[in-house]
Amino acid sequence: MTQIGAIFWAQWRTLYHFYPRRGVAWSAIVGLIWYGVWAGVAIVMLRVFSNPAQVPTIRIALPGGLLLMFLYWQVVPLILATTGSSLDLRKLRAYPIPDSQLFSIEVLLRITAGIEMVLVLIGITIGALLNPALGKWSLLATAAYVTFNLIIAVGLRDMLARLLARKRIRELVFFFLVLAAALPQLLMTRRGMMSPQLHLLIARDAWEGWPWTAASNMVLGIRMLPSFAVLSAWTLGSLLFSRWQFSRTLAFDADAANASSSEASRRSWWIEWFYRLPSMLLKDPLGALIEKEFRFLVRSPRFRLVFLMGFTFGLVLWLPMVFVPRGPLGEFFVQNYLTVVCVYSLMLMSDVCFWNAFGFDRSAAQFYFLAPVSFRRVMSGKNLTGLFFLLVEIAVVTGVCVMLRMPLGVRRVTEAYSVAAVITIFLFSAGNLLSVRHARAVNPANSFRTGAAGRLQATLFAIYPVVFAPVLLAYLARYAFGTQTALFVVLAIDAIAGMIVYRVSLDSAVQTADRTRETMIAALSAGDGPIAD
Amino acid sequence: MGEQTPAIEIRDLRKVYGDKAAVDGLTLTVPQGCFFGFLGPNGAGKTTTIKMLMGLAPPTSGTIELLGLPMPERSLDIKQQIGLVPDESMLFDHLTGGEFIEFVGRIYGLDRSTARARADELLDLFELGYMPKKLIAEYSKGMRKRVAMAAALIHRPKLFLMDEPFEGVDAVGARMMKDILLDQVRHGATIFLTSHVLEVVERLCERVGIIHEGKLIAEGPMSEMRGTAETLEDAFVRALGMEHAAETLDWL
Repeated sequence: MTQIGAIFWAQWRTLYHFYPRRGVAWSAIVGLIWYGVWAGVAIVMLRVFSNPAQVPTIRIALPGGLLLMFLYWQVVPLILATTGSSLDLRKLRAYPIPDSQLFSIEVLLRITAGIEMVLVLIGITIGALLNPALGKWSLLATAAYVTFNLIIAVGLRDMLARLLARKRIRELVFFFLVLAAALPQLLMTRRGMMSPQLHLLIARDAWEGWPWTAASNMVLGIRMLPSFAVLSAWTLGSLLFSRWQFSRTLAFDADAANASSSEASRRSWWIEWFYRLPSMLLKDPLGALIEKEFRFLVRSPRFRLVFLMGFTFGLVLWLPMVFVPRGPLGEFFVQNYLTVVCVYSLMLMSDVCFWNAFGFDRSAAQFYFLAPVSFRRVMSGKNLTGLFFLLVEIAVVTGVCVMLRMPLGVRRVTEAYSVAAVITIFLFSAGNLLSVRHARAVNPANSFRTGAAGRLQATLFAIYPVVFAPVLLAYLARYAFGTQTALFVVLAIDAIAGMIVYRVSLDSAVQTADRTRETMIAALSAGDGPIAD
Repeated sequence: MGEQTPAIEIRDLRKVYGDKAAVDGLTLTVPQGCFFGFLGPNGAGKTTTIKMLMGLAPPTSGTIELLGLPMPERSLDIKQQIGLVPDESMLFDHLTGGEFIEFVGRIYGLDRSTARARADELLDLFELGYMPKKLIAEYSKGMRKRVAMAAALIHRPKLFLMDEPFEGVDAVGARMMKDILLDQVRHGATIFLTSHVLEVVERLCERVGIIHEGKLIAEGPMSEMRGTAETLEDAFVRALGMEHAAETLDWL
């Protein structure tokens, strides 16, 4: 236990030293808003579960609710490609720390991938304990369910991270991931009817072998012993699976898995042509800067993952909304499917294209200050590179929509592209400022971000309303005037305003970088503590 | 462990990346109490070898025994007895030097008060104690090496594995580090280090091994290695067959 204590102590000291220098107020405000919302949800749950009159509703909704929590814990981090804090095994493996202790810490760290669900489960537990009509075993039920989720999260994360680190099978794994993401869509309700498969998963009389059904039964006080046995069996199974995966991760050599054979490293002519494209179109040094960005980003596992996710996960995730055309929401998704998927792609690519433009290729930052190139040109080069990849991403999304025979027309495509363009301008404006003010080293070799999914969502929660406000105004104009022309007129005004904001933010970012270059380089040179966050 | 058990025994060690062998059939024995210098040009396989010895990279094939114990089967017991000066990316940048040394001490099983007391003493010994609040991220390259070496000493290991310990260290610091290491060897410790600073290796090491393209091309006592050459550098360049490598480019 001394070693576990030492690791947490070192991490605490790391956070203590790091955060005061990195804008603690911003993190605190964003965290308070995000987790405050979830605390509110927990209080609502507490009130619902403590009310005896709600027991019939709880019986119907709880298994599905617990399944949703499982998905939030296990799947949402994958969808956002950000799987929570994790031990930096690269550094810790050198020391005499038993694997069992490392595993225990890793299990505890999985809380960071689902703090929101822990809050909601606490609300449910307290509510159920206060409700005389519910079983007194809710504490045991939720504790066991949380344990199961924490343990299985380690195995799933380790397995995926390892598979995605393998050069030759990464793309195959990703294909299966997309198929897995499509599975819920196949099970999804169609025209308000619950499919038999979905019924088996979440209905009140669903198969009792599911962990969420067993946990639900325990909270409701139904068939206690068999339900406890089922949940324990799932937990034990997940423990075996996760220990196996964790030991494989400990023995995993990412360098060896990523090494190319000399045969494979002979690049095809077209990839080289693609890399050279910016230099053919633009004069140096801008051409050289963008060519370097192309080479770097394309070779980065993190970038490739989010780029692939943008036009695969994005399409698959929002597809069910199109198949539920009744009601205003369904109609909205049918009308704006391409726009929604484009915006999702922008959000997904934000951390490799906007927010931390220097952290991704941190070793180059020092060079930019040394080279006889203006910093404005460097930032412009990064923005142009981001813009190019976003255009490719949106073009691929459009192509896939066409292949899927989605209802597209010139108007919808124009609208989607205009909306994406306006958002992109504002994203670049905000991103340029954040990139120099909050530069932070990121490991581009990690497919998944180590930051917590909740924290990322909280950041988006705080920034995106501002970035999306101009586009929302455009949609309001369309709603108020009842014409598409109003939308495009406001979008055009937004674009002009956006260009001015972009210009101002670029000037400000350049000045800030010049003033704070020492701090920026120091921040980009620094590594994490024992827990990568 | 018997009196004659070598500190390091490597047999036919291979590490392959893709279809390239970074370490190719390395066989090497380092006796206990020896100051061993492991030399080679850039990309020769030195760091890969030391990573395998530290348990940071699994070998593709071959066996490693440290202090008579097989790696990785007894890795916990082995790691408990070795002191590491890894490459500087292995440090925790947002800790102060003292905190890092204390952390390492506690990881090696020292209680907190002992670890803290030794950390303070080591900081003073390595002349880092005058800036206790400075983060490792703010250290110079030489200071990072000093703090890494200080941390390696905290649990009084029997075997030191050091990757470029003198890189970036100033003359005074290097002298102090050399004295500390020689003192450790006098007390029976074994030191295995890689270095590009051949003068330092020549002055400190009893035995030297030279690795080139993953293969051990020469190994033996310093006097034998030097042979008829004036310095170790001459012998090193000759062993690599690079005497005429200094031809310049036309445009340069």
